[in-house]
Amino acid sequence: MGSRAYLLITLVFYAAGALHALLHALLRRSALTTVSLIATLLGFAFHTAALSQRWTEAGHFPAVGLRDGACFLGWAIVLVFLLVHVTTRVEAASLFAYPFVFGLVFVANLTPDTGRADPVLRSLYLPVHLLLAVFGYGALFAAFSMGVLYLFQERELLTRSPRRFYYLIPSLERSDTIGGRSVLGGFGFLTLAIVTGFLWNHSLHGRYWTGDPKEWTALVAWGIYVGILVARWRWGWGGRRAAWLAIAGFAVVVFTFGWATLVPAVAVAAR
Amino acid sequence: MIVVVGVNHETAPVAVREALAFPKHELGQALERVRKDAGLGEAMILSTCNRVEVYGRSEKPAVRSVAEFLARYHGRPPQEIEKHLYCLEGETAVRHAFRVAASLDSMVLGESQILGQVRGAYEAAERAGSLGSVLNGLRARSIAAAKRARSETAIGRNAVSVSHVAVELANKIFGQLHGRCVLLVGAGKMSELAARQMVRRGARASVLGGRTFDKAEELAASLGGRAAPFEALRAELARADVVISGTGAPGVVVLREDVEAAQEARHGRPLFLIDIAVPRDIAEDAGRVKGVFLYDIDDLQKVATANLRERKKESTAAEAIVEHEVREFLEWRRSLEIVPLVVELRRRADEIRRAEIDKARHRLGPLTPEQESALEAATSAIVNKLLHAPTVRLKELAGHGQADHVGLVRRLFDL
Repeated sequence: MGSRAYLLITLVFYAAGALHALLHALLRRSALTTVSLIATLLGFAFHTAALSQRWTEAGHFPAVGLRDGACFLGWAIVLVFLLVHVTTRVEAASLFAYPFVFGLVFVANLTPDTGRADPVLRSLYLPVHLLLAVFGYGALFAAFSMGVLYLFQERELLTRSPRRFYYLIPSLERSDTIGGRSVLGGFGFLTLAIVTGFLWNHSLHGRYWTGDPKEWTALVAWGIYVGILVARWRWGWGGRRAAWLAIAGFAVVVFTFGWATLVPAVAVAAR
Repeated sequence: MIVVVGVNHETAPVAVREALAFPKHELGQALERVRKDAGLGEAMILSTCNRVEVYGRSEKPAVRSVAEFLARYHGRPPQEIEKHLYCLEGETAVRHAFRVAASLDSMVLGESQILGQVRGAYEAAERAGSLGSVLNGLRARSIAAAKRARSETAIGRNAVSVSHVAVELANKIFGQLHGRCVLLVGAGKMSELAARQMVRRGARASVLGGRTFDKAEELAASLGGRAAPFEALRAELARADVVISGTGAPGVVVLREDVEAAQEARHGRPLFLIDIAVPRDIAEDAGRVKGVFLYDIDDLQKVATANLRERKKESTAAEAIVEHEVREFLEWRRSLEIVPLVVELRRRADEIRRAEIDKARHRLGPLTPEQESALEAATSAIVNKLLHAPTVRLKELAGHGQADHVGLVRRLFDL
């Protein structure tokens, strides 16, 4: 079976898991059920198979181009989600992860392969660097999610009349703690990702810094991490302030990434 | 047949329930008497503040005599309690027993106490030696069904009483209460109740007392905390995570300025203010200070009502689970009804077999041991093979509630 077939099966399992979770969240106030968890695990197994199959097919670690990129990102998010689930048991995390992963794998299924096979991509730096980077950014996404949950729960508590979300979302303290830990872990991963990125650059171009948009994004994200960490552990910022900080930090990173990748592309197209 | 006779909060006013209640220490003798008077093979009595029920197994119709026993035991004229009684038999009785254990028949839907009370009642009956295989089966299956309903639906989730709601909201804010500080302003009954639940979950308590400082000290001691004079309000607020205010003061006791000052000292960490006093103790606009969650008694009541509504929605799912378990129990019971018939059928066949072997032996004269065992094996095999299919079919039919074949089988085999 080719990687395409595996990816299609993956999508079916993820869709089943996401749908089951969604229906349960709407009907029964539990966002994660055994059924959806099993579907996700099966989907993840096929996803991993698709990834390794694709690695063989492409001859390099499949993370370049829209199809492979989306496929890999989705895989990494499921991995992060499963880790978060095992360590924290926050059911509401599935509300963020499921739709996102489904969208990514859906896109990956629709997109044709890019026939590019740059020998540069054969480097083992690629998977190592990418995995570190995904964990680094993924943790920021987790902190962002926890920030949103925090503000949501706070609003629910302030309105004094609980609605559906009140029952699903973890306590303020818990969102805050998990958000804080995500930032700390993410900082570590991103630092390592940046270091491996520099080393890879050096082995390719003989320079550590090449001015690539991704480098700027990483630097901005790293700065934001430092900022959040300082605010939290130096000035004692917790709760809503930390939540807003995580949300703003994530937004800035997304914006920088979009700006840094799109603007050069537009410039190229205009030429 | 299983019977249930009793009263509950819906059919009888508290005066009647009181009159019919069985004190714990009388249960043993009451069980003995009801078994004798009403001819019950097995019996169990469930007596709580919301219901008094006699569960029993009997071969003949027994509800009337159980009802009479209830009246006689408590010295009441039967016609006085009759209109409050429900007398259930067979399937309806079984369904009722399951619904009671699952708290679907409770005054507060989904309350958790009833399961413990049901367990206790069965244990008392067991000690009195009045449980047999039928009620023991009912006990095991109804308790298992209740647990399933509680764990698979949200029927028992979320607090529906004011003091529980306060604890639950504190949990929603602080995650867990271990090591948190609860500050009581004024020593009222209700605030004490809520505070006690928080202390049980690991919170530390302090009590602010005004003119009646003795009372504050007494309460603090019983909560394992400390008392402080009312003048220390601001300092105590800065230290507290949860404040429960329930003074009898005619006006506002905690001002917005007090809360603002406290929040400044706390770096905006969440502060949960619970005002259960009427008239209210805490200034309304204190709830607008950042990081402060202010709930008055109406707000808590509103949350409790919303939670109860959620439980009601869940009850359909819980009813479905209970219904499924009731069906399984009834099937199991019916398949047991067939057991004596099968035993009898086998016994009869074996009798015939033995008689025929004796006759044969008579005709054949002495046999070698090998011939003996061959004869034995051949006849047994014939009987077993002939009876195998009818036995299996009978059990199946009984499981599906078609026990009327029993009569036919008896007639066919002349049993």
